[in-house]
Amino acid sequence: MKQTKNVKLLFSVLLFAAVVSSNACAKGRIDMTEKMKDSIVYLQISYCGYEQYQPWKNKDITEGWGVGCAIGKREVITTAYNVANAAVIKAKRFGQNEFIPAKIKIVDYESNLALIELDPNALKKALVPLKFNAKYEKGIEVNFYWLSSTVQAYSGRGYLDRATVDSSSIASSRTLNFVAANISDLTGNGQLYCIGTEPLGIACWSNSNKEAGIIPAEVINRFISDENDDTYNGTGAVGFLTTRLLDPALRKYLKLPQQIQNGVYVSDVYTIGTGSDVLKTGDVLVSIDGFELNSYGRFIHPKYDALFFDYLITGKTAGEKITFNLWRDGKSEKIEALVKNFDVSQMLVPWYYLDSQPQYFIIGGCILQKLTKTYLEARGADWAGKAEPHIYNYLLNEAFKPTETRKAIIVLSYVLPGNINLGYHGLSQLVIDNINGMKIRSMKDIPVALTLNPETKYDVIEFELDQPKIILDRATMQSANLIIEKTYGIDKSANINSD
Amino acid sequence: MKKILLVLTALLPAGICPAEPPDISKSVVMIQTVKQGYDYTTPWKQKSTTAGVGSGFIIAGNRILTNAHNISDNRYIIIKKENIAKKYPANVEFIGHDCDLAVLKVYDESFFDGTESLDFGDLPKVNSTVSTYGFPLGGAHISVTEGVISRIQTDVYVHSGADSHLVIQTDAAINPGNSGGPVMQDGKVIGVAFQGVLAAENIGYMIPTTVIKHFLQDVNDGRYDGFDSLGITLFAGLHNDSYKDFLKIPADTQGIVVISVMLNSSAETILQKDDCITRIDNYDIDNDGMIMIYGTKHHMSEAIEQKQIGQAVTLTYWRNGQKNTTELPIQLNRPVFEYARLYDDPPHYVCFAGLTFISASRNFLETWGRDWIKDIPHILRYLFSDSQQLNKDRLRKEYVILSEILPDEINAYGDSFLNKPLESINDTPVRSLDDVKKAFENKGADFYILKFMNSDSPLPIEAKKAHQRNEIILEKYNVPTWAFTEDKI
Repeated sequence: MKQTKNVKLLFSVLLFAAVVSSNACAKGRIDMTEKMKDSIVYLQISYCGYEQYQPWKNKDITEGWGVGCAIGKREVITTAYNVANAAVIKAKRFGQNEFIPAKIKIVDYESNLALIELDPNALKKALVPLKFNAKYEKGIEVNFYWLSSTVQAYSGRGYLDRATVDSSSIASSRTLNFVAANISDLTGNGQLYCIGTEPLGIACWSNSNKEAGIIPAEVINRFISDENDDTYNGTGAVGFLTTRLLDPALRKYLKLPQQIQNGVYVSDVYTIGTGSDVLKTGDVLVSIDGFELNSYGRFIHPKYDALFFDYLITGKTAGEKITFNLWRDGKSEKIEALVKNFDVSQMLVPWYYLDSQPQYFIIGGCILQKLTKTYLEARGADWAGKAEPHIYNYLLNEAFKPTETRKAIIVLSYVLPGNINLGYHGLSQLVIDNINGMKIRSMKDIPVALTLNPETKYDVIEFELDQPKIILDRATMQSANLIIEKTYGIDKSANINSD
Repeated sequence: MKKILLVLTALLPAGICPAEPPDISKSVVMIQTVKQGYDYTTPWKQKSTTAGVGSGFIIAGNRILTNAHNISDNRYIIIKKENIAKKYPANVEFIGHDCDLAVLKVYDESFFDGTESLDFGDLPKVNSTVSTYGFPLGGAHISVTEGVISRIQTDVYVHSGADSHLVIQTDAAINPGNSGGPVMQDGKVIGVAFQGVLAAENIGYMIPTTVIKHFLQDVNDGRYDGFDSLGITLFAGLHNDSYKDFLKIPADTQGIVVISVMLNSSAETILQKDDCITRIDNYDIDNDGMIMIYGTKHHMSEAIEQKQIGQAVTLTYWRNGQKNTTELPIQLNRPVFEYARLYDDPPHYVCFAGLTFISASRNFLETWGRDWIKDIPHILRYLFSDSQQLNKDRLRKEYVILSEILPDEINAYGDSFLNKPLESINDTPVRSLDDVKKAFENKGADFYILKFMNSDSPLPIEAKKAHQRNEIILEKYNVPTWAFTEDKI
């Protein structure tokens, strides 16, 4: 996710700002369809990704499309969701028949934004960059624009209904979104939303109630400016869990004074994310950066009205300062901290595992795999109810709590039957405790553990919750591995990334 | 060839026809039951009544044998004989929900005039012919269907949903109403028809006489205790030579590996993880955990099923390369989160300040509907599935769940704790409903601080106010008593 500076991009953005601001004062409905033809592209995306239960295999290829909005002469943004597990991206520009090859420069699933670069050699005419600077105004008419696969420019309209703090279908955190109501077409693929001549954001979801989610200008602009920095820091992540603090008995029990009428109860503190190093379970979070939280965890934003406090963290970039006002152990405390971020791969159970091959290790037909939410979701509809409760518990209660001694949960996915594992064929979905006596903290521990106890005849895999052991014969392991790989068409017996 | 056929025809009639087939209409009865179960969320309430029809038959001692599921949760039972209009009220004398059998008593002794009791035979042979008798879908006359024994194996008894015993599968039609009727061969009862498979055709099941005899022997002392177990979890992994060698078991030895021993079980001080059991009483155990019994292979649990609680089995097992023999007393060994459905007894509860606490049971989980196993909250599914491993507290009697909140100002903020297991009250662990009762009886504290599993925020209840509101709430919602934790109110 690291990126280099792009000075040219900034320059072109400024230039465009000067052009559009002259149109901002126009009266009545403004149709920018014609103008947007040079600033939006059609993206055709081929997806493949990996099979979670046969991680050595790609999934069947599927096709999708999205809208890219220019933020540079050849750079466009779209939603991260649009390009998750993308294998190939091709763009179409107005006035050009040929496809333009494109590649992802940065993807941030938390902000649900991706920066895509079009091949400059294939792009016949530079794009006209947009500047996202429309101001939020509740109830105002919004127009949206997109380019179809036949390079036809379309537009639609709706009304800006509210600002909300919500998570995308992938993200682990809740970020600022706008919601447009009464929209004339379903939008959810990155369509450009404008107020008058001013770009407001890009579409990220819509529903049958004619509502659409919009990733707002401020999220986009932070993403862009962060990208222009030396490194991509990402947005802040919340490192704790809160519950409502409505019960007067709980307030009394916590000895909250009369003057503190609001605040939320900190019910769990993670080991990663903002506040994880300074907050304690049982704290009452009274305010963040001076914004008082109500008992539901909302604060009043001067522009957006009531928003969940997550915004005060996810609306910042990692490294910025943050101030928590707390009620702790019967007294008020003020705590200064830094906004923290984490890469999803740092989670004990990563919330998503996209674009990369799942991490796995096959030994004697036993498929050992890193537990991710994506892995569980591959069980299909009702996956949460189908998942083994002991495994699901790690996702539900421990996902944000990696420690030095436990950085990942490794499961025995299932056993590919072969002579070496006769008797173990029915074992599946078990959490690995240790291999050859070594606690397994991450995927990287597996090959190390397999070198232990060289004097013994067997590799021993032990699981949590009183499950049977798996004992594998070392003498026949190599040949057994080869036979199993050949039998089941496995071209790669392990994939251990360096997260 | 011709000669062999002649021999067969000469033999067959002798095998099929007993001296005098009993007049089945003198033995098979219709059982009409009105049932009313309990609401396991608000256990002082009873559900609507339902009516059902089943079958039964007369056995020695003027008793009627039937299925437990015919008369579980009963409020009124009527017995009818074929061709006789009179209805005879009956009561349950003994009921075994784990084996789906029950003995009924008719107090009007005239009922037994002209009846004939049926005797029990042994396990039938596979492919031999049997006849089932009963009242499928009610009707006025006894229905007879004929079929063969398809197979005999250990399977789950769906009435409790948790217990497995031997079952006999037949292709003789067994339909609702047949339940409790006798399955006959050579003039003797060889099974009690009791369940079928909806998704399959011509698969009906009966309870074999091995199970029936166990039940009848059990009740001889005037009380039904139930089927027992060893209290261990086993793994059929010795098919793998490496596993066998690793556990230092001789290559030519077969057996089954202990992977866990239940807390508080009789096996706890005797067996341990990685022991390999090779013999139970006089039966060698194979790598599938099967023994040769009744002339064929059945699960080793069959050796235990022959015993009554308090008796012992002799086990031979290997540990660290040493062969050992031990006596292991067998007992009930039920898990702390009971897998089996409960019937008949009113569920215990504590209802204080509108907070209703119950003991976690399958019945409660099944209130989520058909897909309950997927739909129940995670923590309940986790405990139901893994309580034997998760519970390390040997004093725990049950898991206590907040099942319902009867709305009142005192509990207005408790909703987020609904369906969660209670961990402690004022830091005293809650291991049973009795602990909850005792905690609320203590009026010394300002607050009752309730902590729930999987929840880091507590639920504080102001003690004084709670006691004031409690009476009002009980009256308003018609709760007969605030704490029902023993079998009498």
